[in-house]
Amino acid sequence: MKAITCTHLTKSYGNKKAVNDLAVSIEENKITGVIGRNGAGKTTFLQLVAGFIKQSEGKIHVLGEPPFNSLKASANTIFINDTMNLPTSLTIYEILKMGNEFYPNWDMELAERLFDYFSLDRSQRHDRLSKGMKSTFNMIVGLASRCPLTIFDEPTTGMDASVRSDFYRALLKDYLAHPRTILLSSHHLNEIEELIEDVLLIKDGTNHLHVSVSDLKEYGIGVQGESTNLEAWLKGKDVFHKRELPMNKAYAVVKKEQLDPNYKQAGLEVAAVSATDMSMYLTGTSEGGIDDVFK
Amino acid sequence: MIINPDGTKPIYVQISEWIETEILNESFVQDEKVYSQYQLAEMMNINPATAAKGLTKLVEEEILYKKRGLGMFVASDAKDIILNKRKSNTLTKLVDDVVAEANHLDVSETELISMIQTSMSKLRGEKE
Repeated sequence: MKAITCTHLTKSYGNKKAVNDLAVSIEENKITGVIGRNGAGKTTFLQLVAGFIKQSEGKIHVLGEPPFNSLKASANTIFINDTMNLPTSLTIYEILKMGNEFYPNWDMELAERLFDYFSLDRSQRHDRLSKGMKSTFNMIVGLASRCPLTIFDEPTTGMDASVRSDFYRALLKDYLAHPRTILLSSHHLNEIEELIEDVLLIKDGTNHLHVSVSDLKEYGIGVQGESTNLEAWLKGKDVFHKRELPMNKAYAVVKKEQLDPNYKQAGLEVAAVSATDMSMYLTGTSEGGIDDVFK
Repeated sequence: MIINPDGTKPIYVQISEWIETEILNESFVQDEKVYSQYQLAEMMNINPATAAKGLTKLVEEEILYKKRGLGMFVASDAKDIILNKRKSNTLTKLVDDVVAEANHLDVSETELISMIQTSMSKLRGEKE
């Protein structure tokens, strides 16, 4: 079954389309990484999925129905990000108890154990927590709620390296025991690459590529050699990335299926491209890099 | 084993190669049950679908066989299949590299062969 389906999904703010004609369908009980540059529309897309905002155009179905203004969607979805509005009149422990009352699958024992493991102070107020502690607390809420659709938007902001790796481990362990649909947005694909099954690359508010991580890893191939030879070989191919190297050499990334066997005659060498690099090239704005700015 | 996510090898390939190595080391013997996708996910800190893909690769290569509802088991000729595969893939590629490098350094064919023979007798010497 599909957990999320959208077609022509668009959200405009003034004349800017934050999400623009996005179509995607995400299967149930998979962990999907939502990857994109700053301002690509990740958060707007996730807010639409969570039913926090209403689309301007197009259709979206979450767990079988449009999420906006739906009680079913809000009881079955949790959206975690660093701008979450939580009551400041309650202590963070009281917020956990509220969660326990609202979410049917809430695991209070897990929440308390994580609470103690990360040494959170039960009597603290949410707005007094440091950035990293706030993220840690939000993450506990996200995990303990065990919502059929769990959305983490940049969950690790401000967390130190050790808390980050604990979080990813906790997420994986809880997912193994209680499979559910998880969306995890991040700038850092390399951090979540092992954890996720699929990647949704968002660029300019739309679905740029939706594939499994292993397919992303085999999507492109790096080719390197004498600039002139490489230039000639690249004719008629889709080039994702190109940069100059010292000694009149150059490096380019093309689609793997376009790698014809004559690259050897052209004196070119090939190497695989990591998923992180590939996602960077795919979501980039131009073929060149920062070096082009200084030309 | 440690998964290297920055490596250019897909994680599922790293998983299947690790299981192959464990079979060669006889950590898993013929008809023994190997780890499930969930055990692998937990052990290696990876998505269970990735682990499943690694196991499926081994089933396709007939290194493992599936018993419905019970799990994956080591096939009777698993070791031979792995050895043959590694010979034809890994070793051929290494030899290609050695020959290319020898060519680059102007090492003649006879010189290269004698280098290999020296290396082999060195290995034999160490074993005795």
